[in-house]
Amino acid sequence: MEFAEAQLNNGLRIIAEVNDDAASMAAGFFVRTGGRDETPEIAGVSHFLEHMMFKGTQRRSPLDVNREFDEMGANYNAFTSEENTVYYGAVLPEFQTRLLDLLCDILRPALRQEDFDMEKNVIQEEIALYQDRPHYRVYEALMNRHFAGHPLGNSVLGSTESIAQLRRDDMQRYFDRRYSPGNVTVVGVGNLDFEAFVDKVGQMCSQWQPYDTTRELTQPGDSRRQATIADGKVTREHIGMMSPGPAAQDEARYAAELAAAIVGDQTGSRFYYALVEPAIADEAHLTYTPLDGTGAFLAFVSADTDRAPEAVRIARAELERFVENGPTDAELQAAKNKIASYATLKGELPMGRLTAVGFDWVYRHKYVPMPEQIDTLFAVTKQEVHELARSYDMTATTVLGLGPLESL
Amino acid sequence: MSEDFFIKEFPNGLTLLSQPMSAASSAALTILTPAGASHDPADAAGAASVAAEWHVRGAGDRDTRQLQDALDELGSHHSEAVQSEHMHFSSIQLGRNLADILAIYADILQRPQLTDASFQPSRELALQDLASLEDEPARKCNLLLMEKFFPYPLGRCIYGSQETLEALTADVVRRQISAHVSAANTILAVAGNVNWDELSALVERAFGDWPGQAGPTVSVTDQPAGITHIEKDTAQTHIALAHRSVPISHDQYYAARVAGTVLSGGMSGRLFTEVREKRGLVYHVSCRHQGLKDTAGMFTYAGTRPEVAQQTCDVTVNELRRLAEGVEEHELQRAKTQLKSALVMQGESTSARAAALAADWYHLGRLRSLREISKSIEQITARDVTRYAKDWPAETLTALVIGPQTISTE
Repeated sequence: MEFAEAQLNNGLRIIAEVNDDAASMAAGFFVRTGGRDETPEIAGVSHFLEHMMFKGTQRRSPLDVNREFDEMGANYNAFTSEENTVYYGAVLPEFQTRLLDLLCDILRPALRQEDFDMEKNVIQEEIALYQDRPHYRVYEALMNRHFAGHPLGNSVLGSTESIAQLRRDDMQRYFDRRYSPGNVTVVGVGNLDFEAFVDKVGQMCSQWQPYDTTRELTQPGDSRRQATIADGKVTREHIGMMSPGPAAQDEARYAAELAAAIVGDQTGSRFYYALVEPAIADEAHLTYTPLDGTGAFLAFVSADTDRAPEAVRIARAELERFVENGPTDAELQAAKNKIASYATLKGELPMGRLTAVGFDWVYRHKYVPMPEQIDTLFAVTKQEVHELARSYDMTATTVLGLGPLESL
Repeated sequence: MSEDFFIKEFPNGLTLLSQPMSAASSAALTILTPAGASHDPADAAGAASVAAEWHVRGAGDRDTRQLQDALDELGSHHSEAVQSEHMHFSSIQLGRNLADILAIYADILQRPQLTDASFQPSRELALQDLASLEDEPARKCNLLLMEKFFPYPLGRCIYGSQETLEALTADVVRRQISAHVSAANTILAVAGNVNWDELSALVERAFGDWPGQAGPTVSVTDQPAGITHIEKDTAQTHIALAHRSVPISHDQYYAARVAGTVLSGGMSGRLFTEVREKRGLVYHVSCRHQGLKDTAGMFTYAGTRPEVAQQTCDVTVNELRRLAEGVEEHELQRAKTQLKSALVMQGESTSARAAALAADWYHLGRLRSLREISKSIEQITARDVTRYAKDWPAETLTALVIGPQTISTE
């Protein structure tokens, strides 16, 4: 593994983790923009724009874009979150330059009115699709309550109404505000030729004009409370719980990841033994979500309605016990082994390394080889994990239930 | 990329397969044992699902917690699942932990504790999995379609029904386990950072004495095609369609895979282009080949708002049928490139390789190299695809619709 970096005169950063043993290579454009960078009038524009990126450029029609990706046999897609929009593709090494030609080109989209109008229907279908997924509805409503008044509470998809009202020119203005080269990182991983990589990106993107993009990192307020959305159309009770955690830039994220695994990994965690093993809930897990300037612990529990209040009580009690006593030595060791093993497995595939390398850079402007990250993880002490659980107070949860129950 | 395969067939009926991969530090383990959901008696449907969960609740000298903790300490990412034909265990970990993991799986398969105390929560979780389907209409739609499409009981819902699960006793499940979980016809595959000589000695020690007696086979009944509508006040109408295709062992299999890719590969496939890109009717539309050993289908799914559900179905069905009119040369080339590229990328993944070895052995009784598959794909012509589409047309459809109103597939 070898790391390389370069920067164009307009501020566009190019980084790569080169692995000559890999059979494929992947490239991604990481744009530091998402739901939190929107105002209510344009709710959902980041995600809608992500779709429009595949709708063609000055020299490519929408069908050309799809066809060219598939002609390379690329594994490609894009995703939008509260704070990042990522476009990526993985191909066999021989297609490196063709992949970059296509990705660089679509990042300066035509945004044609007729394509915009057609894609609006697809976005509305996507919103409807998520309406049939209680899991997603809980996540969105929980984010909205936990980050009440903070832009991280914005819905990434937007609403049926906000999408209906959105105009092409609003999207163009948003693009002109957020897609400056300084706000974009081009990431390559796997079996790639870095010199050719930089040449191609330079040739395609040097004329992108830089401008100022800012994101104000305000701290969210304390929003702990409990609420329910009663919906008789939902069969089971789906419960989300959220509490504050360290920011993506914070070294405490290693301890946070360990705390989350000990309390709420899918298997062998405290939630597993207290809730899933005795079949009080069929699902109970907790993850740590690092964010720009802040962070959160996010738990999901789903249970039969008659056992849901008990499940919430037990989950809360487990959090209290953890904050009170911290982890055991055995728990900490198992969590370290699991996280290190998972990172290694994921790292065997270029697609698995792409997001890890990309987000390391987006949040911390730093490349840290995986063995070094694993050493840092293994150096975290029991006291540090306990201190983290206490200082961020993992019991300070916003709780949201969605399902038949009027209250939990 | 190394493509050395190793095969060892033990006298008790167990087959060990392996592919060492020099660049990998992980070793992935897949175990298929012929105790799938289709073996459940009709009045005990769901027994196999409960059995899979029950197997990991204590085995050998370890109780539930000790077993779980032992896997965790070895950094194992594992899952237990039930399909129509098999109970499926998989675990991926660093290669240096493989020996310890194999010893644990020897316990799970040969010496599960199956205590009365751990039976209730195993059954309770299956009941909750079944209830969860109500909140996942897209998944429910696709699961129930299998039930209607495949010869009964091959596609039957792996969770059974609320009635059969509630009636299930520990003894009934124990009987099913002793009838079907044995070395006979069990396949154990390991891919990645593994040494064949060590592996084969380990497996010999850990699984060599496992008794093997083949369980009874399943007798099946064909089912009529037609449409089933489940009325539900959902935001989207969920439409799932199936029509006959060929299993992996069939000589038209590669033509079927190319046909499926012309319809639904990437974003330039015919379904995505016609249904989503040109008409904006859906977010998701796709078609995939799914095969059991002796029967297979093409499964198509589209989720769409109720007011355009009929139009979505019409356009989708038209595309499925239009395939028999032929494919363009550029579509053919693109589909082949996509299939071959996916093959290489999956070839980098130890877990994908372990699963592929086990599946090849089950379906074909031999292992295919990536080169062989690639060559077979390359040889497919436009005429092969058209002939396949004519031989296996989307004329008679089995359909499952969940949503406020039904639709017609005519």
